[in-house]
Amino acid sequence: MLSIFRSHSLISYLSIAATAVGLSSCEMIEFSPNDHRSPDDKQALTDKHLTTLLANPLPAGDTLRFVYTGDSQRFYDDAEDLVKSVNQQKGVQFMLVAGDISDFGLAREMWWVDDQLRKLTISYLTVIGNHDQVGNGRKAYGEVFGALNYSFVYGDTKFIMTDTNGREYNFNGRIPDMPWVRQQLQDNTVRRHVIISHVPPQDEDFDPAVREAYVTALREDPRLVFEMNGHRHDFSIGQPFNDGVTYVNSYAFEKRQYLIVTMWGDKEFRLKKVPF
Amino acid sequence: MTEPDTLARPATPDSLITRSTGLEPLDKKPWYRPRHVVLQTGGGIGMVAAGVGYSLGKDKNELDILVGYVPTKYAGSSLTIATAKYTYSPFVLPVGERWQIRPLTVGGYLSYTHGTVNDEEKGQYAKGYYWFSTDTRVGPVLGSRLAYRRRTPAGQPRNVAFYYELGSNDLYILSYVQNRKALSVGDILTLSLGLKADF
Repeated sequence: MLSIFRSHSLISYLSIAATAVGLSSCEMIEFSPNDHRSPDDKQALTDKHLTTLLANPLPAGDTLRFVYTGDSQRFYDDAEDLVKSVNQQKGVQFMLVAGDISDFGLAREMWWVDDQLRKLTISYLTVIGNHDQVGNGRKAYGEVFGALNYSFVYGDTKFIMTDTNGREYNFNGRIPDMPWVRQQLQDNTVRRHVIISHVPPQDEDFDPAVREAYVTALREDPRLVFEMNGHRHDFSIGQPFNDGVTYVNSYAFEKRQYLIVTMWGDKEFRLKKVPF
Repeated sequence: MTEPDTLARPATPDSLITRSTGLEPLDKKPWYRPRHVVLQTGGGIGMVAAGVGYSLGKDKNELDILVGYVPTKYAGSSLTIATAKYTYSPFVLPVGERWQIRPLTVGGYLSYTHGTVNDEEKGQYAKGYYWFSTDTRVGPVLGSRLAYRRRTPAGQPRNVAFYYELGSNDLYILSYVQNRKALSVGDILTLSLGLKADF
């Protein structure tokens, strides 16, 4: 009679219950919402997606085409619909999410976004946003996704992903990391450069002490096609500094639209808006 | 069973009351003295959380005060979490002589986390930039408890209990409520395991 109440039996019942609701008991035993221990399939997602993407290089003569979106924060139902729509697109090679993957900087939120985005038939890559740095979010992003500054080359184009969330560092004068950005822009082994970050340089959340250096570095890069951001939740395209450099802002997931970006030649591109 | 202390106690006023009402011997403790110690893991309030608690309203209500700790390697910085947790267990079922089950424990907690990396320094953000608190969490708990019924030589109950609680927090619940299609209840649940010992 009493044996069924022994604690080891209880714990095994609990494990069964936990598995039944979709999480192992280890992940359910959360030490804090800031606890970033993640299951194996929710770690180092940037590296994993890059490995997949780069294993299938763009054949010569094929057009470079990717989906551009941003700010998935707390729009999980919208993410589900976005994935269904993107999976219908032909000839798209990957998707970029321009930061604010999470709303509260918590690892679980990043898992929830990945729960949707992993249903994509293409790879997706992210850059860190300000909401991903709330609390201990910077560490959670590092665990779930990866580096805060990284770059990759695909289709003769270098995609430079950089952290521009200066306010989250209390405007310490070091965000974005200009030595790193300049070094990336100096790569002349590829035809084109595209730089992607969350906070646009004309925004008040961009460190004003670094703005001039950033804008100047972009202006002086002969290979730069355009600069891309998120943060503002709505599409825009323009040259805010009137210096010949084009800045593109993404729709947020909640806007239920995304962009398909097609690039060819040295700096030719076309943006297509897709509602979903 | 023939210990003079328990069966034939001196006729002090307290034990006279005890005899006449047939209740447990009265614990003569000041109101502020905690009734139990608590040790817990998980539930969002620490890798290890320890504290003390009070029993109120015929022992069916409990208020626990805990301090939890999470090391840097699991959260990115070393966190200290202060928690107040209130629970209500309406049913207390004896199982044999020695065991007791509380099949349902419902309650809630309020926690405050100290030591996060990005801790909203003065002037860092305009008022309302982030509408939510990064440090203060509230959430519900729902669980069960199994107690081993011990007594002191004087006959006073000193149970030792194992409990589990499923819980969540305000931010997770908000996320779920707004995304009923993409998120499930399981996504927002946390589990805690704990021990409570009367003293």
